[in-house]
Amino acid sequence: MSSFELLGADFQTVRTKAATIDTTAQTINVEVLYGTDLKNLYPQFTLVIDAVLDPKIVGKVDFSDLSKPKEWTVVSGNRKVRKTYKVYLTVKQ
Amino acid sequence: MKKLSFKILMSFMLLALFLGACKEEEFQIPTASDKLQNDLIKRSLGPNIVGGTIEFAYAAGIVPEKGKLTSMTVEASIAGATGTYMDNKFYSTNNSGVDVGATVGDPSTTTGKTTQVVYTGNFSAATLRYYYKIPEEARGKSISFTFTAKASNGETISYQAGPYEIRSMDMQLDLMAKDGTDCFISIADMKVYNSTFAAANPDKIDLIYLYRSLTNVTYLHSLVAPTADPIYLPTFTMPAGLKNKSKIVKAFTVRDQQLARIQYGVFVDDVDLRTKDFADAPDFAINVKAEGGVWVQTADGKYNAYIYINTVNNTTKEMRISVKRLTVR
Repeated sequence: MSSFELLGADFQTVRTKAATIDTTAQTINVEVLYGTDLKNLYPQFTLVIDAVLDPKIVGKVDFSDLSKPKEWTVVSGNRKVRKTYKVYLTVKQ
Repeated sequence: MKKLSFKILMSFMLLALFLGACKEEEFQIPTASDKLQNDLIKRSLGPNIVGGTIEFAYAAGIVPEKGKLTSMTVEASIAGATGTYMDNKFYSTNNSGVDVGATVGDPSTTTGKTTQVVYTGNFSAATLRYYYKIPEEARGKSISFTFTAKASNGETISYQAGPYEIRSMDMQLDLMAKDGTDCFISIADMKVYNSTFAAANPDKIDLIYLYRSLTNVTYLHSLVAPTADPIYLPTFTMPAGLKNKSKIVKAFTVRDQQLARIQYGVFVDDVDLRTKDFADAPDFAINVKAEGGVWVQTADGKYNAYIYINTVNNTTKEMRISVKRLTVR
């Protein structure tokens, strides 16, 4: 995974800065703007070629429970390697 | 050998056919009709909204030797509101790019559904503009027009336009909201009120406009429902009784042309307001920007609206907004 984006209901980024992706710990930490509507966010992942995301993102995602990070699994092109990433959100205060 | 002869024969036959088919025809200049003729374009774009204007350009012409134009008449299926008229000038653009009008007769007269310009000058062809002010009684209905031109030789010609659907929505342009004073927005009234009115009519207040320049976080211009978490209403004293939990969805690329009056060809229509999904929508929109907007559903579910933000001013702490609103219940 090379980058992570998070868009609001207006399809503008809600990040305050670039997300921190740790491919070893398999975590993504992202800080979002004050006043972000956490229930209606559109995550976007940039993956290596042929890799897929599981589950697929088909619409808005509810990130409002900050104590329970959302999880997505990146599946390699040959479908033999699976890495599950946790997405941790913090709201700028 | 026989096969080869056959092929050669066929080739000659095809060539002869090809050459025969290419008979040259000389261009002939089309013969113009010598009868009275007319044409029409609809100049206004976007949804037709009560209080708005539908604009047409109606052209008619006749061969000068056969006669002159004597009148142009428009009959609408529903009488237009005050302000409906037909321009008594036709326009040409001069070298400076300015439209210069030439008067063809007295200003138009409107009687009921009919608007007319009577020609007093010596004109065989002209294009006049017709402005139909959409009346309240046309809301939700279809409307059509009959344009008619008459010539001095007795000829008459007509052009049917429409039907055009008149939308159910309302539109209000250029409301000024000011932080600390006129900051209470009513979708029901499509007006901005002060705290005295808000305290006296708490049910009418759907949104509060605030401007705050906070340290650490970006708040700036925000639209917040009275029920929003107090953290989104910093240093704000809420008048008693305000309790509407409006649903708010931020938008950024919806620069409706009728609200914005800038170059973008985007129109919010009845169907957009009717079908907008407000499920899980919050009751606040923090840091909204000029040329952005918010979709709003009132707490009672009666109105869906789109508020376009025309301008914001950090110094005077003001926001100029324009609203389209549909009654959905």
